[in-house]
Amino acid sequence: MEKANISGYQLFVLIFLFEMGSALLVPLAGEAKQAAWLVILIAMIGGFILFFIYYGLFQYYPDQLLTEFVRNILGNFLGRIVAFLYILYFIYLAARVLRDFGDTLLTFAYPHIPLFVANAAFILVVVYTVRKGIEVVTRTGELFFVLENLLLMTFFLLIIASGMIHLNNLKPIFEISGTEMVKMAFTKTVFFPFGEIIVFLMIFPYLNEHKRLKKIGIWSLATSGLFLAVIMAVNVSVLGVDLMTRSQYPLLTLIQSIEVAGFLERLDVYFLFLLMIGGFIKICVFTYVAVTGTANVFNVKQPSRLAYPVGIVILLISIIISSSYTEHIHEGLKAVPNYIHLPFQVIIPLLLLIIAFFKNRKKGKTSTKKSS
Amino acid sequence: MASFFKQKRQVKQREKKKEDESQSKSKTPDYIESSLSANLEIVKKKTGKSPDIIIRTLKIGLNPEIKTTILYVQGLIDNPSVTDFIIESIMKNPHLSKNILPLEAMEIISEDVVSLGGVERVTDWEKLFLTLLSGDTIIFIDEVNVALVASTRGGEKRSIQEPSTHLTVRGSREGFTESNGTNIAMLRRIINTPDLWIESMKIGTVTKTDVSIMYINGIVKEGIVEEVKKRLNRINIDSILESGYIEQLIEDQVMTPFPTLNHTERPDMVAGNLLEGRVAIFVNGTPFVLIAPALFVQFFQSVEDYYNRFDIASATRFLRIIVFIISIVGPAVYVAATTFHQEMIPTKLLVIVAAQRETVPLPAVVEALLMEMTFEILREASLRMPKAVGSTMSIVGALVIGQAAVQAGIVSPAMVIIVSITAIASFATPSYAIAISARIVRFGFIICAGMLGFYGMILAFIILIVHLCSLRSLGVPYMTPLAPLNPKGLGDTFFRRPIWAFKERPQYLTNENNLIREGNNQRPLPPESRGMKTSDGKKGEGNES
Amino acid sequence: MNRKRLVLLLMMLIAATFTTGCWDKTELNEMAIVSAVGLDRNKEGKLVGTFQIINPGNVAGALQGGGGSNPPISIYRATGDNVLELDGNASMKISRDMYFAHANLVVIGEELAKEEGLNDIFDAFERSPEFRATTRIVIARGVKARDIVETLTAIDKVSAEKVIRTIETTEKTQGKSISINLQEVIKNLLSTGKEPIISGFTVRGNTGKEDKMENTMSSDIEANPNAAGIGVFKDGKLIDWLDGDKAIGSMWVLDRIENVHLYLDWEGKKNAVTYSVIRQKTNIGAKIVNGKPKISIKVRAEGDIREANVPLNLTDMHVLIDIERKLAKELKKEMEDAIVRAQKNKSDIFGFGELMHESHPKEWKKLEKNWDDDTFPKLEVDVQVETFIRRTGLRNKPFLSNLQKKDQ
Repeated sequence: MEKANISGYQLFVLIFLFEMGSALLVPLAGEAKQAAWLVILIAMIGGFILFFIYYGLFQYYPDQLLTEFVRNILGNFLGRIVAFLYILYFIYLAARVLRDFGDTLLTFAYPHIPLFVANAAFILVVVYTVRKGIEVVTRTGELFFVLENLLLMTFFLLIIASGMIHLNNLKPIFEISGTEMVKMAFTKTVFFPFGEIIVFLMIFPYLNEHKRLKKIGIWSLATSGLFLAVIMAVNVSVLGVDLMTRSQYPLLTLIQSIEVAGFLERLDVYFLFLLMIGGFIKICVFTYVAVTGTANVFNVKQPSRLAYPVGIVILLISIIISSSYTEHIHEGLKAVPNYIHLPFQVIIPLLLLIIAFFKNRKKGKTSTKKSS
Repeated sequence: MASFFKQKRQVKQREKKKEDESQSKSKTPDYIESSLSANLEIVKKKTGKSPDIIIRTLKIGLNPEIKTTILYVQGLIDNPSVTDFIIESIMKNPHLSKNILPLEAMEIISEDVVSLGGVERVTDWEKLFLTLLSGDTIIFIDEVNVALVASTRGGEKRSIQEPSTHLTVRGSREGFTESNGTNIAMLRRIINTPDLWIESMKIGTVTKTDVSIMYINGIVKEGIVEEVKKRLNRINIDSILESGYIEQLIEDQVMTPFPTLNHTERPDMVAGNLLEGRVAIFVNGTPFVLIAPALFVQFFQSVEDYYNRFDIASATRFLRIIVFIISIVGPAVYVAATTFHQEMIPTKLLVIVAAQRETVPLPAVVEALLMEMTFEILREASLRMPKAVGSTMSIVGALVIGQAAVQAGIVSPAMVIIVSITAIASFATPSYAIAISARIVRFGFIICAGMLGFYGMILAFIILIVHLCSLRSLGVPYMTPLAPLNPKGLGDTFFRRPIWAFKERPQYLTNENNLIREGNNQRPLPPESRGMKTSDGKKGEGNES
Repeated sequence: MNRKRLVLLLMMLIAATFTTGCWDKTELNEMAIVSAVGLDRNKEGKLVGTFQIINPGNVAGALQGGGGSNPPISIYRATGDNVLELDGNASMKISRDMYFAHANLVVIGEELAKEEGLNDIFDAFERSPEFRATTRIVIARGVKARDIVETLTAIDKVSAEKVIRTIETTEKTQGKSISINLQEVIKNLLSTGKEPIISGFTVRGNTGKEDKMENTMSSDIEANPNAAGIGVFKDGKLIDWLDGDKAIGSMWVLDRIENVHLYLDWEGKKNAVTYSVIRQKTNIGAKIVNGKPKISIKVRAEGDIREANVPLNLTDMHVLIDIERKLAKELKKEMEDAIVRAQKNKSDIFGFGELMHESHPKEWKKLEKNWDDDTFPKLEVDVQVETFIRRTGLRNKPFLSNLQKKDQ
């Protein structure tokens, strides 16, 4: 574990940027049509529940990383295996985001660049950052937080100034029934992006004031959920449901429609900026967590030396995972939530929590009141 | 490649041998002898009979038997002091009568005769030579193995003039000079508190340059002064010719184009920094004083910001940031937009630019790099040119080269415009140190933009920010108060809080117990009667005139 | 890994990035900037594409005051079966890559629109990242699309600009054209509750001459491009043209009017009074009454009297109210005529169906299938208009009223 110190505000910013990251890109809860924003809000509540599970685990082991307390709970041998599985999980997620990002770049801006080069350039920057430690990542995150919000505000203002918002497009809300909405929220949207907060179990120990963690976690999830819901609502109200579900990147289509004052048009490059900030932080967090976890599980003295190898692994996996963007999306919508997100984000942590509960009760420790 | 590493090893071995040798050569006797002639022999041998080291034998008062010699370096001493207060005093003093022993004579001289401020006794040669070569006068008396050192430092110095960098419209016109003493005195005149502490040391094995650390005790954060002293004491080099040497030897990060220590020629700037808890390092021989720690936002502050009112100052600060960004990304944006992202440019503008590029043979990247190189060459040349030729050359450079190149169709006018704007922008940053960094970084950006368009540029931008965030200056993160965010400190970054709201010192630099620097309610209030205030009907309140 | 190998590896990586050769990098003088695309169908049934390419040297030269003796645009034509094939075939004639990011105008030939319909053409435009979503669409009326794309114009160097601006100004001042872009057209094509309408454009005058430079050299242009009505579509095919009052009426219903003039007959004199609309709002509501859908339209307009060629006493409030009422009646008639026409065409260009979908989704599910053919033509539409006269310009009574008094 590093000797690092993160303040509450920095953690908030990091979680916020992480959640917004690649979720801005895709039509989140697109199948809910006009009620997409509602589904996101419902999923956010699901995210709260997951957060409480993780918070419970954190309270039992406030100074240990995920890979460490797993070994405490399950014993050394089994714990190491589970920790290693989690590391693979994080690497896979990092590769997915990298692939998302590279494909987007190639789709709308640079069709001829080989995907490998685009991804490699990005992962190099990520590795450079990760080697400097979590404090640098959070400080960079702070600066980027301001930048991202400025960009989002500007876009919002431009869209309003263009007069493109037609609130009527959001009607009828209940085209799909309420129960369907809840089902969609809890089986798909809650995992991406809200459930991915599990990676922060590797970062929570660095927080300097442990008591504020609950508030920070809830606030950051709430803010990012709200932002995503609003952005989705704007997407639907400007583009209309049909166009939104047919677009690979609704936010991009939205930005491409902006036409103000006769010369502010084709602002896709700013979308690129927005995308890169979010994607960068997300991949950085995943990579950092993978590197620290590996160093932890295999007792490596200098984690920064693992950064390059892990980075190359992520790069290669991002190329291998699918042969076309359609396959990538298909995998992400059908296979990943049920077979990968569900066990890693829900089942295993729940089991761990239950075991931890019993273990600590047996030891007679006065466990702090769980707030789940 | 292997030979490269072998050479290094050989150099290292050679150096070590040299060190051992030099140490054995300069073995002089440690302590002063009693015999005057022996002492003088040692002096002459050590200084190699340099003609500017004056050895003057004297007669003490009315006693012709005691042999006395004074020793000084011509040029380093203050002539009146030596002639009036030493030579004349010793020669004409009635107390030095016939029947005193040499030792007594020494006592009398040191206490009654030499009417100077600083008189010290010295017994070892090292200190003797140190003081001799700093401008003090040495008094030897035969049969006494103690020498007297009288402080007579003086000599020709530059007078206090306007500083050549960090010019301001409003503010004092004094700048530091090369003499440490004068500089420290200037600062003492500005900060009149006894808490202003100074610690001196001599750094540089051959030059033995005077280096002084200055800080305000009570305001400075604990640990910073110790850290600075630790780093200074670590320095093991033969010469310190300028504060830049010290800066490069004690800075936190070496592999960065950004400066982590600030330097200035202005005493008011140093004073302002000291009052915020920083440490100033004076180096004899240069008017540039180092200030540690230095943060990124400082390089965009100029002293004038504080002398002007806050609205103008904030606007100017904003402008500086924008200008800095332009000077870094200007040409890169042009290159990226015209070669990769033509859809961003409005159609009319695109047509104009396209028309220009029809005739130009080079791709935009090469053109940009070429123009930037040319500009750097012009800049270097203008620094070295004698003043008489300067203006002609600038006309030649601007008009002839620029105009002719454009008309010949080698470069496009748009590129010339961009490069000129960038160049002017780079002069608008108040601190020269960071303008230099911008120059280097700009080239990196152009290359990245040329390879991968805006994607490359944004990647370069991310690397730049990550790099900035990872720097530290004397342990304080470089990008404070932006990251880690320090809301109170934000009042002095891109806009400036009015002086009457400057309540606290920046807490990342100062001692926690001493944060408050301003009382409450400092905002100036207009007289009571103005404005729509309800009056209580009392007569004579306020000035109704 | 010792130092030496690390340095070697780094150097190789750096060399690799530099030798990439820059994919996707295109110099400006390697690209042909397309400003307008025209699509026609020829007799063999193939698509004919006409591409208007900007010649930057001639445009900029003219801007800087050089002579305009060279045309600022060049035309290239190609035939093919689908849009991208046109692109490929045209490249045989052009020395550069065609760059579509600045193609602001797409002109579709009337025959193509009538017979084939729009459904087959637009996918390439929508999918390509190069094409803009905000490209304007126009139908060539009475001429072929190529005639419009080929036209050289005097004031706007690039004639695509002229077409776009003309349509925009017409929409603003007259209401007889509609400025619509690609994204909207596709949205309307897909929606079951709304049909697209697209402006028409034509070339009046000597249509053989529009592609010659002499066309721009005289003050009275021989071949002049003109806006010409609005085209109505059904199932992607052009079925009708709306001109004059019908066009204006439809725009009123669509709430796209800005600064239109309304003309009023007065005491036998035709169009004696002109009312200039400053602000208007059309609110449309959908209701289900007795199981049948019903639309109610409420229009509220504010404006000034700008011309009065009869001796009216405009200082009298009653006169103004009278004018207001007459204006409202006239406007109501215009709108009702437009709606009847649309119902005759069996094409719901106003989006009443979408409105039903938004407010009564359950009923919409039943009505959706036969909306255009059955329900829409029999739809009950109730129009209510309110007009307000706010000011009368710099004068109150027209000078004519004083003139007549003098005679008396």
